[in-house]
Amino acid sequence: MSETRQTTDDAQATTDSELAGGASPGTDQPLEVTSGETRERTREEWVEHEFEGEAKLSVSDLDVYYGDDHALKSVSMEIPENSVTALIGPSGCGKSTFLRCLNRMNDRIKAASIDGSVRLEGEEIYQDGVNLVELRKRVGMVFQSPNPFPKSIADNISYGPRKHGDLDTGLLANLLGRSDDDAVDELVERSLRQAALWDEVNDRLDDNALGLSGGQQQRLCIARALATDPEVLLMDEPASALDPIATSKIEDLVHDLAEEYTVVIVTHNMQQAARISDQTAVFLTGGELVEYGDTDQVFEDPQSQRVEDYISGKFG
Amino acid sequence: MASATDTALVSEDTTETEAVAAGAVGLAAVLFALSLASVFELVTITDPVAGVPMVALLGGLLVVLGFAVVTFGVGSRLGYVATDPRPTAGLLASGTFGLIWFVVGGLVASQTLGLGTAGWVVASLVTGGAAFAVSAAPREDIGSTLPAGALAVFAGVVFLTGVIGPSWVWDLGWEQQASFNAEFTIPVLTAFCSLLVGWAAAKAYGGFGARGRHIGAYVLVYLNAISIIALLFLLVAFTVLKGLPGLFKGLALGAGAGPEVTLVGVTFSLPVSWPFVMNGVALLNDVNGVLPAIVGTIWLVVGAVLFAVPLGIGAAVFITEYADRGRFTQVVEIATNGLWSTPSIVFGLFGLAFLVPRLGNRKSLLAGMLTLGFMLLPLVVITSRESMLAVPDEYRDASAALGVTKWQTVRSIVLPAALPGIVTGIILGVGRIAGETAPILLTMSGSVAPPGSQTVDVLGGFQLQSAPPFVTNPELMQATSALPYQLYSLITAGVGESSNISAIDEFRWATALILLVVVLGFYAVGIATRYYFRSKLQHD
Ligand SMILES: Nc1ncnc2c1ncn2[C@@H]1O[C@H](COP(=O)(O)OP(=O)(O)OP(=O)(O)O)[C@@H](O)[C@H]1O
Ligand SMILES: [Mg+2]
Repeated sequence: MSETRQTTDDAQATTDSELAGGASPGTDQPLEVTSGETRERTREEWVEHEFEGEAKLSVSDLDVYYGDDHALKSVSMEIPENSVTALIGPSGCGKSTFLRCLNRMNDRIKAASIDGSVRLEGEEIYQDGVNLVELRKRVGMVFQSPNPFPKSIADNISYGPRKHGDLDTGLLANLLGRSDDDAVDELVERSLRQAALWDEVNDRLDDNALGLSGGQQQRLCIARALATDPEVLLMDEPASALDPIATSKIEDLVHDLAEEYTVVIVTHNMQQAARISDQTAVFLTGGELVEYGDTDQVFEDPQSQRVEDYISGKFG
Repeated sequence: MASATDTALVSEDTTETEAVAAGAVGLAAVLFALSLASVFELVTITDPVAGVPMVALLGGLLVVLGFAVVTFGVGSRLGYVATDPRPTAGLLASGTFGLIWFVVGGLVASQTLGLGTAGWVVASLVTGGAAFAVSAAPREDIGSTLPAGALAVFAGVVFLTGVIGPSWVWDLGWEQQASFNAEFTIPVLTAFCSLLVGWAAAKAYGGFGARGRHIGAYVLVYLNAISIIALLFLLVAFTVLKGLPGLFKGLALGAGAGPEVTLVGVTFSLPVSWPFVMNGVALLNDVNGVLPAIVGTIWLVVGAVLFAVPLGIGAAVFITEYADRGRFTQVVEIATNGLWSTPSIVFGLFGLAFLVPRLGNRKSLLAGMLTLGFMLLPLVVITSRESMLAVPDEYRDASAALGVTKWQTVRSIVLPAALPGIVTGIILGVGRIAGETAPILLTMSGSVAPPGSQTVDVLGGFQLQSAPPFVTNPELMQATSALPYQLYSLITAGVGESSNISAIDEFRWATALILLVVVLGFYAVGIATRYYFRSKLQHD
């Protein structure tokens, strides 16, 4: 992964030379054209989003390559504080890739190289000397596929805080009478309640988490991420395996979280995006951010024809 | 088995023909067991069984089975038995039959008829080709029963007529004067034929076709598995039977029967006296025992494990989790694999040349522990690495995304998930080192028949002192014995060397049995540990 940043001019040139949608001459591989997609040029102003308050995360000219595969193309966007930002777009357009850039999880993928800048509260996270552990404590993540640890449900929840040293439950702590067992119980209950899982599992907190159903595992992973109390929560399709009731609980949760947290959520469900998010970013095939703005505006009056087609279900 | 019932989900009640075929399968299994029994000479081939000599019984059963199978095949071809055969038995079956009959034809021509090279080659080709054709060309019901059944009938007739009778010997005429005698040949041939016929009968039972092939393969695999397990069982049973008399010689139970021991300042007599396990070898002993060797083996394994396991896991953590995958890890991998396949005598020699001079210049328990530890190390590295690689990356990602450091992730997620695999590796390794003789011979062995006073007392041997190294343990520096070494030396040294052991053969077998028990004991501990770690990872 490269730490250097492209100059704005360079990036500008790349964007301008690209013909969105069609087999563009400026890119090294042809873009997929789904039937119904119109050829159109992406305009700078489509991705400009005016908002009040501070930007929690500002991304500029972010390029991601997997080997030769250009997965994200010069993405720039500002994510406001204490709000919900939805990322939508067809499968394979780079939503997860974008999300992983925000807490540098892409560093863990050997093939990935990242170019560009992401600032968390004005501080560049792609520079030398960034403490990744600290960064990820502040920017938490829920993965696309549930990945609970092969431990008990309670241990899954308390894992992060315990390892951070916020909670001490070890043998030594017990001997010294400094054990935080009560605090752990409290944390487990609170996190599970937030993730709408408490009622289903409160009688088997010591059972292995792998014995939960897929949807329960998904909610456990949300609870686990909440337990570490991050400032920013990145959620990659957190409700993909959930029934309508659990989904609405998660949506309520996301809504509540936006009071204190900054939530970035990927979803394939347009209604969900429209319901819960303050602003929406639409990625289209080829790893391009095509439109970004107020959710209401994006859904009701998209500026891009392709986005309109996508939202109305003509392709994608 | 009618085609009609094959397509139905639920087949009808067993038909008579099915029962006949099943009977044939059962008979083949019995025949297989009988022939195995005579291979291991539980029954000799001249022994009468149910009034007839074994050889006649085997031959007769073969003939009956062969005819049954052929009749079934022909009946199926003529439409008397409803089956569902494929157009041909398949290339694999035909090729195998061709090859078998090629060998049979050649042997008969050259050995029985005494034809020359040209003669037996022609005969082989003719029989082999015929078998191949019979198997490949007609429908599956003929193709898989006729060659098998004919072979069984042929073998049966050969045994019955005495062409290969009890006194038959086939001298190969090699320099080593190797020869096959009837005691070995007849049961082995019978076992082979019964497998073939059993397979054919099983296919017939399944009505040929896909189901028949499935059942045929199942019977083959099943018989094979059973015979392997039976073989292992036989081996253990043999050792146990031979070892038991020596093991329990002089055993006495009851209050105060045993020797006095002092535990936590209290002296009392053990309620058992078990001389073989509690004594060493001494002139005045009523019953000599192998206590020093038992204790030596246990400490040896414990020491080697304590030495190798932390080091090995540490190395594996480094090359799996920290080092970048590339040249370096490849080299380490090749080196560890190579070290694991290095013969133990080489490790022994290394211990003798490198460790012994540095550890007081004499053979010692410590030198033995370290040598075996070095032997165990590569396996621990290999299996730990394998099982850590098998831990899904999702766990590492999840942990990293929670803001947990790499080391904490390794310690709390990766290692616990890998532990069952690591323990499996240690179990395998302990099985190997516990039975090692050569390294012990070179680095740690004491007398051939150690007296009880030579039993090491490692725990009691620790002494504190005020000067460095502060803790010493002379017991570790003592030469001692271990079970495999003791067994080896008892066998090679002969009775003269250890003349104060009476009934030396009994003593050896009992030693072997004790070794088996000690190793199995380590296994049990290992498996219990693995079970414990695994149950923590899995939901039930
Ligand atoms: N680890 C990886 N190695 C190589 N290529 C990858 C990797 N992860 C993603 N890609 C590629 O990057 C592109 C974007 O993938 P990404 O996972 O970000 O899509 P997505 O928008 O999240 O899709 P979905 O909605 O299906 O989850 C795809 O073409 C994919 O093949
Ligand atoms: Mg995705």
